[in-house]
Amino acid sequence: MQQDYVYPSIYFSYFLFALLAGGALYFFVRSLKHGYLSHDSEEPKYRMMHDEEGSSHE
Amino acid sequence: MPEETSNLAARRAAAGDSTAVVHADTTAKWFLISSIAYFFIVGIIAVTIAAKFVWPSLLGSVQYLTYGRLRPLHVNGMLFGWLLAADMGLTFFMIPRLCGVKLWSEKLGVATAALWNVIILSAVVCLLLGINQGLEYAELPLALDVLVVIAWIMFGANIFMTVASRKYDQMYVSIWYIMGTILWTAFVYLTGNFAVLFATGTNQANLNWMYVHNAVGLIFTPVGLAIAYYFIQKSSNMPLHSHKLSMIGFWALAFVYVWTGAHHMLHGPISQWLQTIAIAFSVMLLIPVWAVVYNFFATMKGQWHQLKDNVPLKFLMSGVVFYLLTCFQGPMHSLRSVNAIVSKTDWIPGHAHMAVLGAFSFFAIAGTYYMIPRVYKTRLFSDALGNWSFWMLMMGGLGFFVTLWLGGFWQGWQWNNPAIPFIDTVVALKPVWIVRFFSGILMFVGIVLFAYNIMATILGAKDRPEAAAA
Amino acid sequence: MLRKADSNFGFAIGAALVFFFIGGTLTTVVPPLIDKTWAKPFENNDPTKGPTGKLKPYTEIELKGREIYVREGCWYCHTQQTRTLLADTKRSGWKGVDSPISTPDEFVYDAPHMFGTKRTGPDLSRVGGKYDSQWHKTHFRNPRDLVPGSVMPPFPWIADDPEELKAMTAYLQSLGRSKNWRPDNDYEK
Repeated sequence: MQQDYVYPSIYFSYFLFALLAGGALYFFVRSLKHGYLSHDSEEPKYRMMHDEEGSSHE
Repeated sequence: MPEETSNLAARRAAAGDSTAVVHADTTAKWFLISSIAYFFIVGIIAVTIAAKFVWPSLLGSVQYLTYGRLRPLHVNGMLFGWLLAADMGLTFFMIPRLCGVKLWSEKLGVATAALWNVIILSAVVCLLLGINQGLEYAELPLALDVLVVIAWIMFGANIFMTVASRKYDQMYVSIWYIMGTILWTAFVYLTGNFAVLFATGTNQANLNWMYVHNAVGLIFTPVGLAIAYYFIQKSSNMPLHSHKLSMIGFWALAFVYVWTGAHHMLHGPISQWLQTIAIAFSVMLLIPVWAVVYNFFATMKGQWHQLKDNVPLKFLMSGVVFYLLTCFQGPMHSLRSVNAIVSKTDWIPGHAHMAVLGAFSFFAIAGTYYMIPRVYKTRLFSDALGNWSFWMLMMGGLGFFVTLWLGGFWQGWQWNNPAIPFIDTVVALKPVWIVRFFSGILMFVGIVLFAYNIMATILGAKDRPEAAAA
Repeated sequence: MLRKADSNFGFAIGAALVFFFIGGTLTTVVPPLIDKTWAKPFENNDPTKGPTGKLKPYTEIELKGREIYVREGCWYCHTQQTRTLLADTKRSGWKGVDSPISTPDEFVYDAPHMFGTKRTGPDLSRVGGKYDSQWHKTHFRNPRDLVPGSVMPPFPWIADDPEELKAMTAYLQSLGRSKNWRPDNDYEK
């Protein structure tokens, strides 16, 4: 029991944190390249405001 | 900002060309009405068990009404009878509108609602008879678990078929969260109700806690956020601050949440390294939570005055504040030093109720207040009553949460001093339980007003046709 | 990639599931494979390594008592884990002897597990042998007769049913006994 007390788990957590940060950075750069972070990608939030039933609230 | 506004106008004009879709909403109505009935009935049970803490011999000679039978009924009834059913009803309202098409099958939807009611009513009978699997949140017997899986497949098929036939290519964030809920719930539920039966001891506890934690984290959180993301924008008439930020919140939630189950057994008989992983990921939960909450607050920038006379928005924004608080508490509890004090105390019910009642039930109530008048083509029976239901739930809720936090923290300090006999720490908490009981009554009054308001809206729909007001 | 996920249904589903399964697998399937103590029943014959003893499977009558414990929802208010906190080892202790902490190998035969999550009443992980069966009978009939101020519900239907009472007591007396932690062996029956 004693040997699993702290250290290996701490290193494992560091490793996971690094993996997570690396992944986040990778996807951020790719999305930037593919033009995801442009104004166009915000379209869904405007469309959902429009009520197709033509009901009272405009 | 001006650019966005003109953009919105242009898009509205463009969308106006398309033919309007008429939604039947039968399924949504069924789910909502039955869930509100359970909200009321289980509310009575909730007040009863709060009373049992004050008068422990209350109903003590009736074995079907003892605390150990009523508590699982309260938990399962609120989670699955009220909250999940209401969330499903609101999903059946949101998805066709977000996709611009009719629901794939209204008949299948109604059958799902009927099956769901069969499950809940059978669950009531089983739990009162003491038929209990002995695993938290997974108390229901295997036969009912199978029915839940069937109902979930019916629900998922209906939603996924609707999304697959959607008119717009890009999906709004609520659709994401709902798809996530359906998929993750399937696996979380199978783990918590079937896989556990093949394990024992610590292994089983680990699976059980993975399920319990993710029942909240990957079922009620994503569907609750889907509701908030839809109804905050709709009822305030403001577009979301940022679609991209909402995506970051979604993917962070998808990745981080599932790791944290073992934080329910900190200091307990489970491997230390697994506890450490759970702690690390619990702290990382701050990322998806703050991404979501920032998005909502930024949406409301300059619009807070709307809270004055907008009942759904009141519930929604206080729900967001409770969500922020509860999700700040969670990561903090998982730190070993804090956990040594608050774990297993009355703080924990305070925390759990803030998540399930304060955040997710508030979202569901807001959605109901918004949706019911619209599907019945009428106005809300009474805005004043709506306000009263809000303040009753708010005051009762705050009384409940705050006294249990204070009491639980105090209890934790006492437990950590072994010189104090255990029974003294029980007696010390009695004033806290009395306040909890009266807060519970306030909350129950709020539920009654809410249920009455909705019922009166539905029954009087023909006399009060929809006003042309905004 | 995000753009693709934004509008491609199948891709979104796949990505959401992959993200979920990384954590899901690493925290549920992998741990019991790494930590063998989760599945190996406790056994120790060397007093220098802590309390000696051996975990035995439950007897038939203990299992019946366990079913009652589950049925009545005792586990909603009583935990069964002496945590790695000093106060826990003192509170689970008896007559000045600190209790050993609970380890996974003591619970291998527990299904459903009864670790619990809320301590409205005291922890029961080491309750076996602390009180005699007459005490338990009186306590089930009305807890406040023995412990003034208690908020435990009365269980007359257990106290008045000799078979259920016997099973229930047998189960409670077995709790925490696989580690033979009391030096004088002064367990009550």
